[in-house]
Amino acid sequence: MSETPSSAILEARGIARRYPGTLALDHVDYRAYRGQVNVVIGENGAGKSTLMRILAGVEQPDEGQLFLDGRQVNLRSPREATRHGIAIVHQELSILPNLDLADNLFAGRELVRAGVLVDRALEEQRSRDVLQHLRSPMDVRTPAGHLSLGSRQIVEVARTLEQRAKLLILDEPTSALSNAEAESLFAVISELKRAGVTIIYISHRLNELLHIRDHFTVLRSGRVVGDASRSEVDRQWIVQRMSGRDISASEAKRPLAAAEKKPLLEVDSLTLSSSSDGNAEGVPVRGVSFALYEGEILGIYGLLGAGRSELLEAVAGSRPIRSGTIRLKGRLPAIGSVLDAVKAGIHLVPEDRQRDGLVPELSIRENMALSATGGIFLNPREETARAKQLVIDLNIRASDLELPVAALSGGNQQKVIIARCLMCSPSLLLLDEPTRGVDVGAKAEIYAILRRLAARGIGIIFTSSEIEETQCLADRALVLCQGRVAAVFDRKELTDEALFAAASPSVATTSTSHPGMVPA
Amino acid sequence: MTITTAAVRPSSRFTSSAVRALLFVLKARALVVLVALLVLFSWLAPAFLTANNFQILTKHVAIAAILAIGMTFVVLTGGIDLSVGSVAGLAGMLVGYLLTRGISLGGSPHILPVTACVLIAIAVSLLVGLLNGWLVSKAGVAPFIATLGTLYVARGAALLISNGKTFPNLGGVAAGQKTGFPALGQTFFLGLSMPVWTMLVLFAFAVIIARKTPLGRHIYAVGGNERAARLAGIRVPLVKLFTYVAASLCAALVGLIIASQLEAAHPATGESFELNAIAAVVLGGTSLMGGRGSVTDSLLGACVIGVLSDGLVMLGVSQFWQMVIKGTVIILAVAIDQLQTRVQARFLPLLLSAGAGGAE
Repeated sequence: MSETPSSAILEARGIARRYPGTLALDHVDYRAYRGQVNVVIGENGAGKSTLMRILAGVEQPDEGQLFLDGRQVNLRSPREATRHGIAIVHQELSILPNLDLADNLFAGRELVRAGVLVDRALEEQRSRDVLQHLRSPMDVRTPAGHLSLGSRQIVEVARTLEQRAKLLILDEPTSALSNAEAESLFAVISELKRAGVTIIYISHRLNELLHIRDHFTVLRSGRVVGDASRSEVDRQWIVQRMSGRDISASEAKRPLAAAEKKPLLEVDSLTLSSSSDGNAEGVPVRGVSFALYEGEILGIYGLLGAGRSELLEAVAGSRPIRSGTIRLKGRLPAIGSVLDAVKAGIHLVPEDRQRDGLVPELSIRENMALSATGGIFLNPREETARAKQLVIDLNIRASDLELPVAALSGGNQQKVIIARCLMCSPSLLLLDEPTRGVDVGAKAEIYAILRRLAARGIGIIFTSSEIEETQCLADRALVLCQGRVAAVFDRKELTDEALFAAASPSVATTSTSHPGMVPA
Repeated sequence: MTITTAAVRPSSRFTSSAVRALLFVLKARALVVLVALLVLFSWLAPAFLTANNFQILTKHVAIAAILAIGMTFVVLTGGIDLSVGSVAGLAGMLVGYLLTRGISLGGSPHILPVTACVLIAIAVSLLVGLLNGWLVSKAGVAPFIATLGTLYVARGAALLISNGKTFPNLGGVAAGQKTGFPALGQTFFLGLSMPVWTMLVLFAFAVIIARKTPLGRHIYAVGGNERAARLAGIRVPLVKLFTYVAASLCAALVGLIIASQLEAAHPATGESFELNAIAAVVLGGTSLMGGRGSVTDSLLGACVIGVLSDGLVMLGVSQFWQMVIKGTVIILAVAIDQLQTRVQARFLPLLLSAGAGGAE
């Protein structure tokens, strides 16, 4: 690079963007520095995504100017941004699962011979080259649907690189990745950086940010509240600026519960039928045994595909069991369906809120009451009273319970689903990735809620792909690896190294940058 | 952060009420259109606002509305029932057969009382609904395909009963036949005809089910997000089964009413009625994706379609133009529905922040 490292490749001056009733961006000045990894962080709703959509030409600002290489530019469409060398990888991946990897890399801009015929050979060659360049060799003829999430992300990055992007925006790229996959993505990012590509990296996961930082910008409520380079930044600095308050992780620790306890749930050599829903990543659970005591919080940690979600779904009655038993309070309830589980007091908060949890057309109150409704007639008065109580108990920030649930932020939506379970007075609460897509503030609140519930004697099992979350919340942790129990740790044994080592398959490939392919 | 009823700026309060008003008009568009049509036709055709025409109009509306009420539940779960027209035809033919041929129990045919005939016809028609519900919720057949199949099966059965012929004289003229069947479609009570009363009673039941019972809530939940409904412990197959049986019940009643009005049962009765019912439901604003809409809206939709075709007839508009106009109105209705969805999505943050602390 000929320029000085600190020169700005893209500069935004005084950007304002209004949505009716809110000022999403309040005259933001932002710089992305050439050849660096520019991290943008902030809670949900802080304005990060709005700013990125403006930088990528998806949205137009109401006020303010953009300067690219010192010249003012108008980005009226994503196409125009691409022409200027700005590319964005959205949270929702735009991979075509039915096409293979090379087809995906050149989708929409196929290389042609004689004007009409697709030049497959050249496409494959260039695909191999670009993946080689990213040090992520994959078979370019693999159907993209067979790739793991992490590999798909790398394919997306490869596509932008193949388009000669000089500025790449990654919008929360690791939110769905396991640690190992995230590691390989970070390796790819450093390759890109070496190749001179400027990167804007958006996230609200703190741990990973300290890996890949160069320059930090913190947004809060549409304003830039922090801007510093790597040497000036530590964890405390980020958290304080993001939330406007001071939460340290240690504050969240709770005292060990008393040792005298009755077993609430006993799972004995549970094996699940192989998944029939066409999900290639569904590795069944094999011979898993564990117990949960009343008032205990058990964390289930494991990498993607370790069988975490499947285990919870089996206990919740939504996944068929091949062999093994599940005992609740010493009895053997016949759990053949979700309804049986709900009747027995077992409730699941699913991993994917939008897909499995919420009914977007129904109001907040109706979503809360969904599991509790029965009998001949509804009782709106009692329903409203209980919903209002739960709104206070769980600190759900909603002005009106009759508004559609889709209007709430991620954290509040998650609390609505927890409230749904609580309306049925559960004895066992299962949470699959309880804080996925939830901002830092709401995360701490959800931890506090779960601890309060456990103190009331409710058994809680949660899964997590974040070591930090497991350490912070669990009394005990069960580590799954490829469908089997790899280890059980007490709270004091929960170290990064122990969890990570137990979760990794014995033929460890996780430390290399090779992105794991999931067997089809 | 704690819950505070934060002070609201007056300006946002103002825009908020403006948006609420706009959304209300968009939501109540079926009512707006209905009133506009009534005013327009009364002005253009003086005979439109007469008691005589009111009788004819309500009769047309009642039949469309009864079908639309049943269809609404199916559509709310995200399904569709194409078989209702055929079921109406089947019910009519069944009652025609029972009233004229009777049941032969070892020897001479025996004609049952009218009530029994009607109940048997309804019961057999409900079997079609059960089959639809089973196919959709247990066998996993797509609703469109399952009910397309039963559309043909039920129509074929209706034709087989009489070998394609009409059952005439259901009024009970012939000796040995029980009389009283025409009462179902032709009697009046408090100035309203029996079909209208049937429609009103069904409507009341449907509104209570939709708004006051857990079953109604579950219907909306299944249509809004079936996976979430299942994981919340809702008996999804049972809910779906109910909606298809309800649609068949409504269809059977329509078939009986028509047979009673005509005092004859024709196997082709009810052809393409399913499309009218879907049109009424969609016009009312119920989303074909499920989860959004209401029985009242469908009733209004049926009224709009009824008033529109009746008024156009009175104005002497040709039948061909009537079809063009009807189709245009349906397309416009759905286009406005999309507009409403977008307006709602766009202003939701505002509606939220205008209330209190806001969710974001």
